[in-house]
Order: sequence, then structure tokens, then C-alpha cells
Amino acid sequence: MVWDLLVYKPNAIIMFKNYFKIAWRNIVRHKGYSIINISGLSVGIAACLLIFVVLQFEISFNTNFPGYKNIYHFVTSQMQDDGMAYNPGTSPPAIDALRNDFPQVKFAALNSNYGSQLTVGGANSTNSANDRKFTEKVGVFFMEPQFFDIFKTEWLSGNNAVLSQPNMVVIDKSTAIKYFGDWKEVVGKTLKMDNVLTLKVAGVIADAPSNSDFPLKVLVSYITWKQHPKDYGYANSWDNISSNNQIFVQLPANLSVENLTKKFVPFTKKYLEAKGGKTTRVHILQPLNELHFDTRVGNTLGDHLTSKSTLRTLSFIAILIIVMASINFINLSTAQSVGRSKEVGIRKVLGSSRKQLIIQVIGETALIVIFSIILAIGLAEIALPFLKNIANVPEDIGLFNMGSILFLLVTMVVVILLSGIYPALVVSGFKPVLAIKNKITAASIGGIPLRRALVVAQFAIAQLLIIGTLVAVNQMNFVNEADLGFNKNAVLILPGYTDSISLSKLDAFKQQLLQMPGVKGVSFSSDAPSSDNNWGQNFYYNHSDKEFTYPTFLKYGDADYFKTFGMKFAAGHGYEQSDTARAAVVNETFIHKLDIQKAEQAIGKDIKLGSGKWIPIVGVVKDFKTNSLRDAIKPIVITARKKVESQAAVKIETKNLKATVSDIQQTWEATYPEYAYNGYFLDENIAKFYQQENQLALVYKIFAIIAIFISWLGLYGLVSFMAVQRTKEVGVRKVLGASVFSIVFLFSKEFMILILISFVIAMPAAWYMMNKWLQNFAYRIPLTAGVFVLAIVTSSGIAWITVGYKAVKAALVNPVKSLRSE
Amino acid sequence: MLSLQHISKFYQVGGNKNFVINDISLEVEEGEFISIMGPSGSGKSTLLNIIGMLDEPSTGFHYFVDQPVHQLKEKQRAALYKQYIGFVFQAYHLIDELTVYENIETPLIYQDVKGSERKAMVADMLDRFNIVGKKDLFPAQLSGGQQQLVGIARALIAKPKVLLADEPTGNLNSKQGEEIMELFRKLNKEDGVTIIQVTHSEKNAEYGSRIINLLDGRVESSKKL
Repeated sequence: MVWDLLVYKPNAIIMFKNYFKIAWRNIVRHKGYSIINISGLSVGIAACLLIFVVLQFEISFNTNFPGYKNIYHFVTSQMQDDGMAYNPGTSPPAIDALRNDFPQVKFAALNSNYGSQLTVGGANSTNSANDRKFTEKVGVFFMEPQFFDIFKTEWLSGNNAVLSQPNMVVIDKSTAIKYFGDWKEVVGKTLKMDNVLTLKVAGVIADAPSNSDFPLKVLVSYITWKQHPKDYGYANSWDNISSNNQIFVQLPANLSVENLTKKFVPFTKKYLEAKGGKTTRVHILQPLNELHFDTRVGNTLGDHLTSKSTLRTLSFIAILIIVMASINFINLSTAQSVGRSKEVGIRKVLGSSRKQLIIQVIGETALIVIFSIILAIGLAEIALPFLKNIANVPEDIGLFNMGSILFLLVTMVVVILLSGIYPALVVSGFKPVLAIKNKITAASIGGIPLRRALVVAQFAIAQLLIIGTLVAVNQMNFVNEADLGFNKNAVLILPGYTDSISLSKLDAFKQQLLQMPGVKGVSFSSDAPSSDNNWGQNFYYNHSDKEFTYPTFLKYGDADYFKTFGMKFAAGHGYEQSDTARAAVVNETFIHKLDIQKAEQAIGKDIKLGSGKWIPIVGVVKDFKTNSLRDAIKPIVITARKKVESQAAVKIETKNLKATVSDIQQTWEATYPEYAYNGYFLDENIAKFYQQENQLALVYKIFAIIAIFISWLGLYGLVSFMAVQRTKEVGVRKVLGASVFSIVFLFSKEFMILILISFVIAMPAAWYMMNKWLQNFAYRIPLTAGVFVLAIVTSSGIAWITVGYKAVKAALVNPVKSLRSE
Repeated sequence: MLSLQHISKFYQVGGNKNFVINDISLEVEEGEFISIMGPSGSGKSTLLNIIGMLDEPSTGFHYFVDQPVHQLKEKQRAALYKQYIGFVFQAYHLIDELTVYENIETPLIYQDVKGSERKAMVADMLDRFNIVGKKDLFPAQLSGGQQQLVGIARALIAKPKVLLADEPTGNLNSKQGEEIMELFRKLNKEDGVTIIQVTHSEKNAEYGSRIINLLDGRVESSKKL
């Protein structure tokens, strides 16, 4: 349409100029409507643009590696009581076995380390206090050289062959700069890891992109791991499956995933059942481009996973917001077109064709949309720095790239068509004779059912988001304030190390801490009562050799563990201080799973963990939340094992908290000069369990506010228009004796009905959506009527205020004035 | 130039036909100046709209410059109309958002007149109507008489053969009305524009060369002056 205008008609440009002029003058003349249209649309587009940037970033994960479509992750799955359990890791012997059995396939193994300390020697080699210590949460790997045959990476210095020798380390450019100040001269320098390994820097690779699940920072040759089995838990056994020990696979062109996966069945049989055992272990291949989204497998090497459902929710919300903004547009433009009927009539009389009128109206829409998009880009730029609060995006994420510009163009075209075509058809269809005589009214242009449907849709979306917000915020409050069954407040956690020197200093360190006035208690343990550790073990009860179908979970702690965390006993008591497991404390879930009714009945019974000794149960603690509130409470055995009790938990008086913490840090640095201080508060750490959920709750909040804003704008615009249209009716009614209240009622009645209808649509949708979301939590709030009532009260309130204000204004006009114009 | 044969326009109300125009036949020669008169509701404006192709008759035959209008498609009709007819209204019907200059220019844009030619034509028209000084004003800034002048200028800009005027002086005082009528006479005599006007005023009707009286959708009388 536009095309033949441009090609065949020399006056197309002039015509556009004419339209542009009119459009501009219309925008200026109807300032109110224009502001409503532009602000609603630009807020909506800005929000969608930001969501798009987040989605684009997430979806691009791991697609930077050449040939990523042929790379797979070797995943172990096992049939368990409650369905398939997936483990991203495998057993250490698997890598050699795979290479042996499938010579045509490329395999590479790695073992990841979390929270390793890297030490760069200071000037004085005897005084470790001068050393520069770095704790790396993620990014430290024992890595096979073959990894780089599969994952092509740029080498700035050296090549992957250096990783075939022991005690060699490769670092990336930014880590090199962080550790040594300059990446060009690091090769040949020495790096200490966990005060156990002395490594020689043998290569430098380029930084991994931020959209990679492989933050390759410090890569130690894989063989080094094998040579330090005790320090880094290497055991060449098929019995161990560690999520840290992962294998990646590159398929040759002539082998399909299905074929290879099939061959894994005889493979596991061959190696695992050789010793006469039976195994439920099944290996599958997870495509590299699904790694980032597969929450079944979980446990990423990078810093976060994103579930597809979160991404879907985000895109869904973005689409809803754009639809709402377009609805405003359609509603207001068709309503406004009544006022423009005269102009349209005249244009038709002056020789304008219908096509030209359609182009004119769409052109006006385009002008507003383009204007809104420019404004939206500004808004998005302002909001961009805050984006990291609702999404895991890097700090330096930019707004513009090919994708987002294309997105804006597509959005522009879609919104122009979505919100321009209907009004254009309505306007251009006016009969000139009627139009010129101002005989076009809101009723005669029709489309009232359509406009009602649009208002209903808008309110339904707003209510959906209000309900979503209320449920998400309530659930997160519930989670944050939930009774965990122990006291998480003012507990400082100091992660420690399990080398023999460190362990030997523990007792003295503990005594020093206990002498501080602000310290109420100190306990050494493997982990806090609530943690993301899952240390499972098979067990036996009461001298029976009966195997249980489920494992119990272990926590190791000293005798002060129970006191420090304020845990309560249902029966019995804690155990005496011991270096090894001599007595055990279990939780209520443990005995319930054994069908023991009363806690007392378990006291004195013996249990055996794996192939260990029989030890008596001396106490049963009341249930506490063993992981996040997403998971149900697990059966737990707590016992002593000094070798793994590396983490200190310090209970602190809340007054002088800061001073006490800094005293503790000084004591730490004096006791462990070779280790960096990494203390953190337990409650803050527990809050981090829910980072994604908290982010989602925030997203709901923000978008509910935007939705309310947009629907309010739309309603306001429509009601203002109605008030003008019904001026005469109101005047006549007043002359006939109508009260102000009855006129307000007249205006509000229709909207209240529309809100009720929208509620009927929104409620089940919201219920379904939020119920599904709550299923993520083992501990969750019930979906009560209150939330829904609040949603409808809020939206009705907004409607009443909007409609009421305009209606009162219309009702207060002296009828003499409003009727005179007729 | 224009021929209406047995034209009727009616609305179906229940089982009854409600006639607005009832079997009117009319021949108009080039260069005529016709005044249509009649009481309110007699069908004057509807007849004018049918002549101007803004409205369609229910039955009858309509020829314009030897073309059978009743058989033409909307597009062809629009082309014919654009080429030959100019319209003037009682309420002027200028586009409020456009200046005087732009209002006059608009029909030329729809007729694909080239930029330089268009400028010359508009300038000529402004000059002729003595409104050069007003060209950048908006309609709301003009008096009624001035607005109607702009309306007429706009109707004439594309050099129509026929000028249709629906109570062109209805909103004007008698002095302004007289000026407009003088202008019409001049256009008719000097430029040979065929004019058909609807009017209530006997005095204005007498500027014409023929007066047609309508009553209840029929031609009651017709006299040549």
C-alpha cells in the first residue's frame, strides 16, 4: 500500500508531509490523549526492551563455542524412590573407560573446585602474611588438555599440551592481571593453591564470555588431581559419583546422540556389574545449549542456571505489557476518531481515497509509536543499571545490539499495525455525508463490544499480575521469616580448610574466640543446619542388615553444634566432644521414616553409616529445615568427624557486632596467615538460597505496577472521552432531576461490570499460574481467598477513583451550559 | 452536462418506504446557475449530495458528462468527481488543523498536482480572493465570511466545471452573503462555472438563471429567470 504510493505517485512525499503536519498538530492539540498514549506505550516498550535484553543474554548461553551443537554433557541418572535423580557428574574411572570403548568419540574430563584459595607469593617468602590471597568461588578446575579439543578457546600464551603435565596451571587473561598485574609475563611464575599445591603458570587463555557456563579462570592439569587423592577427594572407584567430576563429549559427524546413548547401556553393565552388583545407573547426553536451562541436572560450573519456566514467565509478562499498551491505543484512537469525523468527511469530499485515509491514520499511529520508542529507549537506559537486581546479567550489559534493534523494529511494526489498523478502518469507513454533519457518534461507529472486551482484557492482565505479586511477595516473606528450627541470627561462618596444619590449630583458635566478650559460642562443623550440601550415605539400623531404599543425609559437627545453632532436642541430648563418630544425633524425620512413633524409643539404638562402626543414637533433635524451603526436610544423622569439621560457626552478641567481627577477623589472620578471611553471616547466606525467587517476586512487583499504571491510563482516557460524549445526556438527566450520585453511578456501573468479568477471567489463570509456582517450594503458603479479594478491591478502587473523579466533574457542570451547545 | 432521470431516495421504515427524493428528473446544461429552494426536509441537500456523488440514489439513472454514474464503481466515481466537482458548505468545513494555505492546497495534493504548479495555483487563488495576508492563519482565527471565502477558494482551486453549494450564505450576515453571491455570479458569467446552490433566501436564489422549488421530495415548480 505504502509502496505503490511511493513508487507511482510523485506527490507521496508531499502527502506524507501533509499527514505529518496534521498528525503533529493533532498530537499537540489533544495533549491529554497523547500523553496517555505515549507514556503508556513508552513504559511498556521500555519494560519489554529490558526483558528482551535479559532473555537474549540468557538464551545465548554457551553458544559462543564453535560447533556447540555437537557438544554434549555426560550426565548420570539414577532411579530413586521419588523418580529419576540426575547428577551432572560421574565416577572418576569413567573417562578412561569411555575413551577405551568409544575411540571415535572425543571425551574430556574436568573436576571443579569451589572456594579454592590461590596464593601469589609476596616479597618475603617466609612470611605468608605478605602473600596475596584470592578465594575463587567458581572457575577453578582440574582440567584435561583434551577439553580444549572440544571447546575451542583462544590461547594468548602456551597451548593445551601444557595441561598434560602435573602441577601446571593455565589462567585466563583477567585472572592473570588480577594476580600478577600483567598477563604478558606470567608464564613461569608460581601459584599456590589451597596451600597444598605449588603450581607453575604454563599458559594464558582469553577470558570466557559472560554468557558461558564455563568460567575458566584457573585450570590445573587433571593429572595433578590424581596425584593428590586425599587433598582433593580423588578415588578411582565406580562407587563414587561426584557432581564436581564432569565429562564433556564431542560427537563425530557420523554418530547420532541416540546411537551413542544406546551404547551406554551395555557400557554401564560392563563396568558396574562386573563386580556382581546391580546398578540403576543410566547415562544420558545433555546438549550443551540446554545446559544452562536444565534445572533437573542442576549444579552448574558457572554462577547460575535459569529455568526455562522463568524465561517463559518473563516473555509472557513482556507480551502482556505490550498488549496492554496497544489496547490503550486502540481504545483511545477509536474513541477519538469520533471527534475527527468531520475532518475525515471533508477529506473525502476533497477527493481523498479510502486508502489514503488509512495511510494517514496509520501514519499518525506510527508517529506516536516512533516517538514512544525513542522515549522508551531513554527510559530503558535509565533503568538498565538496576537490571541486575532482577536478573543475572553482567554489569556491563548493553542495550543495543543487532538483536535488540531488530526487536525494536519488529515491536514498532507490530504495535503500529496492532493499534493502527482498527482505528484506520473505522475512520476511513465513515460516510462523508454523515461525517461532515457531525452525525458520527461513539454508538454509530460501533466497536463498543470490542472496546469493552479490550478493557476487560486490560483489567484481567492487571489483576493477574496483582495476584502474582501478592502471592510471590507473601511466599517470599514466609520463606524469609520461616522458623527453620534453629537460630540463624548473628551466626558468623568462617569457612576453613582441612589440611593437617589447619586442623591442628582449630582448638587453640576456638579458645581464643571464646575468650572474646562478644562471642557466645563456637562450633566446628561440616556445614550449617540449613545448607545446600547434600551428603548422602546408606545406613543400617539396630544391628539389622536390612538395606533401606533411601539414604540418610549427614552433617558433621562438634559437641557445641547444637548449642551454637540453638537446636532443640525432642529426646536425649548431644554427644561428648570427639574426633571420630562415637555417638549420633538424628532428627525427627529420620525416626519417622523408620516408623518410630516416639523420639524416646530411638535413644540407645545403634546405627551404622556405610561400612563404619555401629554407634548409639544419643539424641533426637526437633526437625529443622535441612536445605532451602523448596525441599522437604531430609532424614539427618549428625555425628562427629574432626577431619571434615573445617567450618567455624561463631555465635555473636548482637551488640558491638561490628567490633566483634573485626576482632574475629584479626584473630583469624593471626592464626591462619596463609589463608584469606572469608567470613559471612549465616542468615545472609540462607537468604541467597532464594535469589531467583526473590528476583521473580521483584519482577512481579515492578510489572504489576506498570500494568496498573497502563490500565489506569487507558481507563482514564476512556472515561474522559465518555464524559465528553455524554455531556448532553448528563445535562438532560440533571434537568430531569438526577442527583450527582446517580450520575456517578451511571458512569461507574459499566466499568464495575467489566472489572467483575475481568476478575472471573484473571482469577483461574492466576490461581493456576501461582499454584504451579508455589509447587517449587516444599513449604509454601496456601492460596487463600484474601489475595484474590485484595486484587479485585485494588482494581475496583482504581476504577472508582478514575471514573468517580471524571463523573463528578461531569455531573457538576451546570446543565444550562452543557445543553446550550446543542 | 448533467442528467438525472427518475431519481428516488428512500429509507425502508417497517414495511413502508419513506421517500426523501421521489422520482425527480433534472437536466442541467453547462454554464447554468441553478438555485434549489424548498422548506426544511424537502430533500434539497440530499438532491445536491446525489448530484455531487456524496450520496447514492435508491433508484434512477444519473449521467454526468455523458458517463452513467449509477453504473460506475466507487473508484471511477471518485475520479470523475475529483476532476469536475467542487463543494461549498454552509458550515465552511475547513480542516481546523490546517492553515488557510494548506486547506486550499489539499485538493491539489489529492489530484497529484506537482509542487511548483501547485504553489502557483494556490498563490493565484489567494491573490484572486484577496486573502494573501491570511494564508498562515488557522480557520478559527478567521471571521465566518473569510472562512467561506477560503471554502470557495478551496472548491475552485482544482478548476471544477461544477460548483455545488449547500446554503453557502446560511451562516453569514447579509452583507457577507451578498459578497459571496456576487462572487458566484462572477464565476458563472466570467469563468463559465456551472453552479448549483441550495438556498433558503429568495434574494440569493435570484442570482441564479433557474430556480427549482422542491416539496416533499418532488419538484414543485421550476422557473427560468
